[in-house]
Amino acid sequence: MTFEELQERAREKWKDTEESSTPIVRVGAATCGLAAAAGEVIEAIEDEVKQLNLEVKLVSVGCIGCCYAEPLIDIKKPGKPRIVYSFITPDKAREIIKDYIVDDNPRPDLAMGTIGEGEVEDIPRFFELAYYKPQVRLITENCGTIDPRDIHQYIANGGFGGLKRALSMSPDDVVEEVKKSGLRGRGGAGFPTGLKWSLCREAKGSPKYLICNADEGDPGAFMDRSVLEGDPYRVLEGMLIGAYAIDASEGYIYCRAEYPLAVELISNAINQMERDGLVGDDIMGSGFSFRFHLFLGAGAFVCGEETSLMASIMGRPGRPRPRPPFPAQSGLFGKPTNINNVETWGNIPWILRHGADAFASYGTERSKGTKTLSLTGKVQRTGLIEVPMGITIDEIVYEIGGGMKDNATFKAVQTGGPSGGSIPHYLGDTPVDYETLTALGTIMGSGGLVTMDDRTCMVDVARYFLGFTRCESCGQCTPCREGTKQMYRILDSINKGEGKPEDIPLLKEISEIVIDSSLCGLGQTLGKTVLTTLTYFPEEYEEHINRKYCRSRVCKRLSPAPCQAACPVGIDVPTYNALIAWGRFDDALEVIREDNPFPAVSGWMCPHPCEKDCTRLETDKAISIRALKRFVAEHEIKAGRRKKVVHPSPITREEKTAIIGAGLTGLSAAHDLRREGYPVTVFESKPFAGGMLRIAVPDYRIPPHIVDYEVEIIEKNVGVEIKTNVAIGKDLTVEDLKKQDYKAVLIAIGAHKPVDLRLSGSEGEDYIHAIEFLKRVKAGNREKPGDVVAVIGCDHAAIDAARTAARLGSRVTIIYPRSRDQLPVGEDILKEVEDEHIKFQHLAVPTEIVRRRDGSIKAVKCMQTELHEPCLDDAGRHRALPIEGSELFVPATTVMVSIGMESDLSSLSYKLATNELGSIIIDPETLETSEKGVFAAGDAVTGPATIIEAIAAGQKAAASIKCYLNGVEFKEPYKLVRPRMRIEPVEVEEELETFRRPDELVRPSEERLFDFEEVRLGLTEKLAVYEAKRCLRCDYEEEEELK
Amino acid sequence: MVNITIDGKPIEAREGSTILEAALENGIDIPHLCYHKGLSRAGACRLCGVKVRIGERWLNKEGHAPHSMHITACTTEVGEGMEIVAHDAELKKARQLIIEFLLAANKHDCMVCESNGVCELQRYAYELGVDQKNLRFPSPEYTEPVDDSSEAITRDLNNCILCARCVRACQETTVQRIWHFYGRGGIDDTLPKMKLIAGFDQPLAETECVSCGNCIQVCPTGALTEKLAHFKGRPWEFKKVRTICPYCGVGCQIELWVKDNKIVRVYGCEDAPDNKGALCVKGRFGLDFVSHPDRLTKPLIKRNGKFEEASWDGALDLIADRFKDLKDKYGGDALSGLSSAKCTNEENYLFQKFIRTCFGTNSVDHCARL
Repeated sequence: MTFEELQERAREKWKDTEESSTPIVRVGAATCGLAAAAGEVIEAIEDEVKQLNLEVKLVSVGCIGCCYAEPLIDIKKPGKPRIVYSFITPDKAREIIKDYIVDDNPRPDLAMGTIGEGEVEDIPRFFELAYYKPQVRLITENCGTIDPRDIHQYIANGGFGGLKRALSMSPDDVVEEVKKSGLRGRGGAGFPTGLKWSLCREAKGSPKYLICNADEGDPGAFMDRSVLEGDPYRVLEGMLIGAYAIDASEGYIYCRAEYPLAVELISNAINQMERDGLVGDDIMGSGFSFRFHLFLGAGAFVCGEETSLMASIMGRPGRPRPRPPFPAQSGLFGKPTNINNVETWGNIPWILRHGADAFASYGTERSKGTKTLSLTGKVQRTGLIEVPMGITIDEIVYEIGGGMKDNATFKAVQTGGPSGGSIPHYLGDTPVDYETLTALGTIMGSGGLVTMDDRTCMVDVARYFLGFTRCESCGQCTPCREGTKQMYRILDSINKGEGKPEDIPLLKEISEIVIDSSLCGLGQTLGKTVLTTLTYFPEEYEEHINRKYCRSRVCKRLSPAPCQAACPVGIDVPTYNALIAWGRFDDALEVIREDNPFPAVSGWMCPHPCEKDCTRLETDKAISIRALKRFVAEHEIKAGRRKKVVHPSPITREEKTAIIGAGLTGLSAAHDLRREGYPVTVFESKPFAGGMLRIAVPDYRIPPHIVDYEVEIIEKNVGVEIKTNVAIGKDLTVEDLKKQDYKAVLIAIGAHKPVDLRLSGSEGEDYIHAIEFLKRVKAGNREKPGDVVAVIGCDHAAIDAARTAARLGSRVTIIYPRSRDQLPVGEDILKEVEDEHIKFQHLAVPTEIVRRRDGSIKAVKCMQTELHEPCLDDAGRHRALPIEGSELFVPATTVMVSIGMESDLSSLSYKLATNELGSIIIDPETLETSEKGVFAAGDAVTGPATIIEAIAAGQKAAASIKCYLNGVEFKEPYKLVRPRMRIEPVEVEEELETFRRPDELVRPSEERLFDFEEVRLGLTEKLAVYEAKRCLRCDYEEEEELK
Repeated sequence: MVNITIDGKPIEAREGSTILEAALENGIDIPHLCYHKGLSRAGACRLCGVKVRIGERWLNKEGHAPHSMHITACTTEVGEGMEIVAHDAELKKARQLIIEFLLAANKHDCMVCESNGVCELQRYAYELGVDQKNLRFPSPEYTEPVDDSSEAITRDLNNCILCARCVRACQETTVQRIWHFYGRGGIDDTLPKMKLIAGFDQPLAETECVSCGNCIQVCPTGALTEKLAHFKGRPWEFKKVRTICPYCGVGCQIELWVKDNKIVRVYGCEDAPDNKGALCVKGRFGLDFVSHPDRLTKPLIKRNGKFEEASWDGALDLIADRFKDLKDKYGGDALSGLSSAKCTNEENYLFQKFIRTCFGTNSVDHCARL
């Protein structure tokens, strides 16, 4: 059969299928599709077709490019365009078959786009999608369209037309045509293809060999695989054209064995071509003969290098040799050999078919045509893309890739795989072409494009790639073999927090020398990853080495576990848990004290945001982190150990600081400053330090002696001077403090002024603010507030007031506008509250206090509410909107209200800039007020916050004041949150594996309702140790031994 | 001849020689470890990197700016008009790092190393000023076990720098292919570290090794050494005697390393036209008979069933008398002569002359013909 007859037959067959009345269902069944379960989709379609008794032509095609949306199916019905459906499951596939093929409903909800002539309502054009719009598909034109197992489909779509044209030209003209097209080697180095061919053509020796390099080994690269799986004939046609031009008679396809599908499709293609006389003797009657050999690589990355690839074919160890002689002179079996990459060969038929000028019209001045890239990593849309040379990184990342997943920030892109380098986000306008990438210190490579977001640590990236090249270095040349080993070792030590400042110049020196002096392309490029990350991300190296901190939280030893990260003061939770598990309770407490001067207060009172992020939640329940903290603190208090040690830290600085307010914020700030040697005085208007905890929070939640214990430590062990009964604004003024040579003043007066609801009927002694009530009771006045108490609001003060009233004999109802699951208190506290017979009136908002004629309160009049979707400024809670016209009465004799508190600045009698709400205006970064050297922090600025937030505020203020006193700029993060030490995990006994989170001992409600003794009794030593052993130690990383 | 300059010095180089060979032949040393005269070009140690310019054009590929990639002098042939920079600060820095890598890769210990003093690694470490105490990389903590299974060759991988000289010598000179590299550069659970193996990673004695010792001769360090020479003298203590191997008529030229009048080591002379440094097992390891206690140093004559020491004159007289008797009694053809391949050509000539003229017979032959 002549080629013309073959073409005729192929076109007819194609026409028959495309225009037949049988619908065609194409399923993307390349490796990417199969990995996304396309195989199951095919089975489901076959089954559904059988069940519905349909006539459908099912075709497995290659990847059309949008691998992120796999599995894809594409249905062509007569007279309609093809419709592509994405993210297909077997169930969806069945639905689509039924709905579209049987019921003619194209299901726009599942469709991705249409291909071909005609429009379908509500479905966009496939190639007009953002992912495809910037793309130009030359080499991938058939991918996803033709059946890669059927040569006729390739021929019908213009296949072997390039060969036909080439055979009608002289070999020299073919070489000229390729030269004119400006095609450069797509394997990475970018050597002009036409020139390479002419060198081999001119070389003496016979036979001449051709090699197709399909040993695509870079992590994150799959361009060659996609082309071979989608359109294998194209590559073989390219080789035939090349063979004709060079006068080669045999060709090897060196494909990695890890691509079984590609191997199958290539050998199938070769067989079909042999059958149709397109390979073998006298091809197309031209007298030109050629044979293919398929050779499977055994998995060495370095065999992608041409000389080691040839050694591998010849049965030798895959190690490169020095060039010259170049393969064109002495290559495979010592004969002239031309070796090109899959993509280069794949471009040849297009050039021959459409002409060199058409090809050269794409791309830039020196880099012509298109480039296939495998877009992977953290972008939203990943897959195989083909773009014209010169497209910018930003266009690829944002337009094609759709930006980063999870709203993360784009950080860098690695081009060229392990031999390439990273381009930082701020060079996103870089055009992708050979010269520009080389100038930036990276390479085009074969086209791997790994995108990275801000959760990627660049030191870790360098370490990862070096780990790869270290193993893949063939080992024969010294710089590459030993250099990779040493670079990896250094990078690994930096990752582990053992880096030294001199490592940076050393890494640079090694990288440069390994690049300059290695034997082959592997060694000559592998240093680029290190050099580019050193050049573009020096701050990350610096942080790892000098500050032992990994900003991306990738390097385990330098970044906190989730619990530690969630803690506002960054307590090293895993470490203290581990120490408890080892039975080292005092050491555990010291670890807590490193970051928090109030371990006991936190152990009793902390709302434990850490437990929300606990990894153990994925299995069962979070570790009881707060209760463990309480346990170690209580363990020390009971033993009385700490009190005996009284040796304040020495004062090493002169600059005095005054702190107004001895709450947690003020004391924390004082503690931090004093610990670093600054003299500090805390002024407190009350007779004792401790803030709200000491004057309002009920004894049954935290006994006063616990607060006093820790205040005493700050006073006696640390050496902070606390002056109680001194009211700033009355006894002393801020100006006085300045005159007394206090260089800095911190206002940490808290928020003690309740916000009023201003309801009608709110005058009278039976209407009180919850906080006033709590203060009164804490001061000793345990008078019953009334028989029936209604509490408006549901903050901690409201809850505490309700529980206190219950203890004093009142019946209590809490009025709350939202539902139970929206309550801002923890489930544990809520349960205790409910056990204490306190009722809730949910979904109600008070409108009036209804009074009897005698003036006594009768009830609280409310409106019912309904919940609406949360809005952004509502902290994720649902909005409660009153229902017009609804009415509800909550009976009461006394009403307590707690809907917020604010700071009472007037007591300070100090003029500071305030906003319209009366809050102090501060610089949110430095916490400095309008007055130089005067800072404000804590509840005084933010309104009521949790105890741990108060401590964090104090620590930040101390850090800022320190910077102020030293005249340096204050910068966040003021504190690096990272593991404090490395504790080996304790062995967990088998019987403990089923141990569940223990509940803290809680006194029964019938007992506790009659006194003010503590409700919770904490964990026993045994339970604490058991509980600590439940920690999964997600902070811990196994030591990787260097062998 | 090809005209080139190395570091500004004009040189006439042999056509087809490499830059390194041209330099060495003209008294310029470019540090090198994997190159060895007579072996194929490996370009593996990368120590001999140079920069080459013809006219205004640099042949070096662009490296990491502002550097350029180095061209290895041992694999690049000279070309007319090449201007070669063999020594500059940048090249020196690279060479120092390579030596540092090699010193850090293994547990080198020069203290009792047999090659101390002739070790090429030691030499370049000294010349380039790389101090083993101040390496910037930690040395491995493990020690490779020494393979002394062979009667003749000790393999100590702690000194091996993977230069592949032994591999090539075994493959190209002896054609026995005992030495191979195993593994790759990697250190990983799955990939073994590259190392020199014998056969299929066997003890040397279990391989097909013929113990020619040509690998010892080319080894630049103390990785492969003569087992029998251990602790028998430091290189500088030996008297080096150049002579011809007594074993066969090839006449391999050898250099005896003699201490206290005992032959301790034997090297093939690399400038000898016949053996070019190569030797066989007998030539390299078979000369210890010279000082063997069983060796006869005086003639013995058997009298009354017992050997008795005699003078040379007495012994020779006895032999001459007995031959003369036989010739007188039975004629010259009753005698014949068989000469040894250990004899030189000159000795063999004299021998046949003697047989023909004194014995009067043409029955003379040579053991190599058997």
